[in-house]
Amino acid sequence: MTSTELTAPVPAIDEDPVLELVGVRAAYGAIEVLKGVDLQVPAGSVVALLGPNGGGKTTTMKVVSGLMPTTAGEVWFAGRNVTGITATEASRLGVCSIPEGRGVFANLTVRENLWVATGTGARLADLEEAAYARFPRLADRRGQLAGSMSGGEQQMLALSRALGTDPAVLLLDELSMGLAPMIVSEMYDIVGGLAAEGISILVAEQFARVVLPIADTAALMLGGRVVKVGRPADVEDELSTTYLGG
Amino acid sequence: MTLFMTFTVLGLVLGAVYAIAASGLVLTYNTSGIFNFAHGAQAMIGAFLYYQLQAVWGVPTIVSVALMLLVVGPLMGFLLHRFVMGGLRDTAEVTKIVVTVAILLGFVALSQWAWDPQEARMSKMFFGADSYVTVRGVTIRYHEIICLLAAAGIAVGLRLLFTRSRMGVLMRATVDDPDLLRLNGHDPERVAGLAWALGSTLAVLAGILITPVAGGALEANALTLLVIDAFAAALFGRLRSIPRTFVGAMVLGLTSTYLVAYAPSEWTWVTNLRDALPMIVLFVVLLVLPQDRLRGAAVRTRERYEVPTVRRAAVWAVVMVVATVAFRQLIDDSSVGTLILGLSFAIIALSLTVLTGYAGELNLAPVSFGAIATIVAFHSGISGTGLAARMNLVGLVAGVLAAAVTGALVALPALRLRGLYLALATLAFGGFVSSMVLRETQTRSWFGHDFAIFPNGNLIVSPLAVGPLDFADQNTFLYSAAAVFAVLGVGVVALRNSGYGRRLAAMKDSPAAAAMLGQRLVRLKLSVFMVSTAIAGLGGIFMSMALTSVTSEHFVYVLSLSLVMLTVVGGIGYVSGALFGGLLAGGGFTLVVGTFNELSIEHPVHAETFGILSHSFLVMTALVGIGVAQNPSGNFFEIFHGQRTLARAPEVRYTALAVTVLLYLLAYAEVIGTWTFGILVVVLWQALPALGRALRPDRLLSQDELAARAATPLELLGVDTPYPDRLGERLDRELGLPARHRQVTPVQSVVIAADHSSRPEEGVRHVTV
Ligand SMILES: Nc1ncnc2c1ncn2[C@@H]1O[C@H](COP(=O)(O)OP(=O)(O)O)[C@@H](O)[C@H]1O
Ligand SMILES: [Mg+2]
Repeated sequence: MTSTELTAPVPAIDEDPVLELVGVRAAYGAIEVLKGVDLQVPAGSVVALLGPNGGGKTTTMKVVSGLMPTTAGEVWFAGRNVTGITATEASRLGVCSIPEGRGVFANLTVRENLWVATGTGARLADLEEAAYARFPRLADRRGQLAGSMSGGEQQMLALSRALGTDPAVLLLDELSMGLAPMIVSEMYDIVGGLAAEGISILVAEQFARVVLPIADTAALMLGGRVVKVGRPADVEDELSTTYLGG
Repeated sequence: MTLFMTFTVLGLVLGAVYAIAASGLVLTYNTSGIFNFAHGAQAMIGAFLYYQLQAVWGVPTIVSVALMLLVVGPLMGFLLHRFVMGGLRDTAEVTKIVVTVAILLGFVALSQWAWDPQEARMSKMFFGADSYVTVRGVTIRYHEIICLLAAAGIAVGLRLLFTRSRMGVLMRATVDDPDLLRLNGHDPERVAGLAWALGSTLAVLAGILITPVAGGALEANALTLLVIDAFAAALFGRLRSIPRTFVGAMVLGLTSTYLVAYAPSEWTWVTNLRDALPMIVLFVVLLVLPQDRLRGAAVRTRERYEVPTVRRAAVWAVVMVVATVAFRQLIDDSSVGTLILGLSFAIIALSLTVLTGYAGELNLAPVSFGAIATIVAFHSGISGTGLAARMNLVGLVAGVLAAAVTGALVALPALRLRGLYLALATLAFGGFVSSMVLRETQTRSWFGHDFAIFPNGNLIVSPLAVGPLDFADQNTFLYSAAAVFAVLGVGVVALRNSGYGRRLAAMKDSPAAAAMLGQRLVRLKLSVFMVSTAIAGLGGIFMSMALTSVTSEHFVYVLSLSLVMLTVVGGIGYVSGALFGGLLAGGGFTLVVGTFNELSIEHPVHAETFGILSHSFLVMTALVGIGVAQNPSGNFFEIFHGQRTLARAPEVRYTALAVTVLLYLLAYAEVIGTWTFGILVVVLWQALPALGRALRPDRLLSQDELAARAATPLELLGVDTPYPDRLGERLDRELGLPARHRQVTPVQSVVIAADHSSRPEEGVRHVTV
């Protein structure tokens, strides 16, 4: 079956997935965008949510992080039905979401950005330590406005939030967007490191190749539904041949 | 030297109070992105409430101050955020401005309700005016020391808050990206609520401190304006920096006192200049502000307007003139003046349709441009004397041109900047006109001619006479005003439909994109502003002619602001919105309030009730303005939308028309009163879409709506029909019941998936995971 079961000795059936979506529907006004999404993120695994633009990946991320209400279906988090909780509550439950685009406050300094990240209970000193240890470049720029840094540095700062706050689930939306390939692989090395520490990760990417090395499972999202779940390589094949034209 | 020191201290004290007021403004602007025009009104309410507590109810000073700063201020801010400001996200800047303007008007109306403006009230200094210390011959009152200390404390405190505390950092973050703040585990509503509470408290403190410094008289309009002066200080800091705001406030305070101390005694206008100083400073600061970066993408806002075709507009123009003529037959001669005044205001409001509705810019002092036009027309176009005096066409044209040129001068410094700054520039201009131009009542030498700009503070504006048209006849005036409005209305619709109008719309939607397409934004903005102020000037002259004799009271800022607000309420993208706003601002208020007054004289037993009704009418209007936050496209959007659906059932409209004519005949025969007629007609046409749907569902409802009506209600599903499994799932979903049990029976779901191979995804799911 899936690679999760090959690595994990415990059968997945008995253990609750850390994150589960059951028949989730969501709409922007009258336009329904998610049309019954079923998705599971088993504990400690990395699930890649793949699919072409407009498939609903970002919307799914918004639903999980609590930014967007569902119109039907359920969201389960570590065995708890959390459908309809706010983003504030979700983040305090341990859902750390790095949104699409820039996940930083452009008009705050690096240090102030980390300060804002203490909202889930971490201490500023710990956060700073973790961030600067992993990204020494940020240490040099702690007093600089985040908006004046390069795209890669901004993304590092955004990712730092996941480093110091010890989340249970990490949601990453298009981490690679607009970044140089070098930086992207550096970022995903760090994500891989977080996965090795046991954090469950759901990562959305339009271009599958960058996440394949670290993903345990891949889900293909099309037209507001998860249409295929399987081994990353298989899903990627289908994605690239059928939908992205090679 | 002592004189210098004395005036320095006075200037610093004034600056300190400005600084406190301005810092509250900067605080809320930076946490919510809303420039709070009601800040001054909040200060005014604070001053009145403090007076009520301390002077009327005799609560000890320290307790009163504590109550005001710890309870009233925070509560006011919290409520404002909870019920108004919080709902202003994703609205256009114009909507934000208008909503705060509506709050300003509401607070002024509320205070005049609670505290009769006829009564004189004096607010005293802390420890009285007689408690002072003397340092080297300079007298400093305790109250003044408190002002200085409070300002210093607030400067330091805010600086610490913003840089050294997490809450301050969160406040700065919340305006950028509230959702990201949520993802970080914070509640942006709480943060913004706290910021508003703090900002309001600063307003209240400023109100309590400034009233005695400014002479002590508690007067709602004057107090509100006093704090608007602090806007200039806030602009010094580009609405961002607290330290610079403080510097600006001090410069303002010192200049103001030095001006009085050292100006040559032959400058009789120096007190006027002093009053206008903050507005002049505001204007100068605008000149030197650096250009904003243009926003890239189109802003996604909630305002929607549809553009009618010129033909449709022409039809409506004829309908409007005919309706005016018909309505004239119902009302007695004494009410005609009110109607003319309303139409004149509607013309002024039309200037806002062009400027705000089409181009997305704002003019907060349209009536002041009317004042300029009136003055120029008065000086250049009156011929004849006494009752035979008439205004000629030259005067009219000169007045309109003067308004357009003045408009260009006012707009120039702000054209490079965002809409908010243009709005502030016009507000400054309004202040300048009120405190300098309209106070030029003495004869002086201007460019070699001796004359007074606003002789004796009272202009007698004679009616216009052009060829056979003589506005001295009320009917001629009324029909001409209606015709002018109708023609201008068609004109602006044609303008909007032209290439020029489309360029305006493009600029409104996305300045950056419009600039990229090679459009000269500055020129575009300048031209539309001139067109707009020309229309405002024309309306202003009509207004003055309708009033026959005008004083500075007729051009006060409250009037301009009411007009702007009511036009937005009507729908600033529509000519009909302008008609609504103008009629209500120019005629409606006097009519309604006058009617209530008459009623209370006729029925003295109910005088109190009618008094309350007439006051609450003013407050209610402000509430409607605040309601723009919910319905930013204005009321007419909904009405038009409803009426348009009736196109598929013309018989409903014809019936309504027949009923209207019948009602008119009844009113004409004096079977029913004019009020009854008006109310019935409005109710009929408002309710028409709903009536139509009820009477002709087959014509007016869409397929979906009909299907929804025909469908079985949820609770009756499966009662007398088979009950398939999927029906159970659907019921679960509709009722929000846990969907999880479905997984316990995977076999069944696979079967369903096999049955409906058109939805393969469900099958895949159970095979792979
Ligand atoms: N704010 C929005 N308002 C309306 N529709 C939206 C909004 N955001 C996304 N959509 C629509 O929802 C669909 C899914 O978008 P999204 O979740 O961003 O997909 P993805 O992240 O996979 O590219 C798209 O068709 C998109 O047009
Ligand atoms: Mg996306």
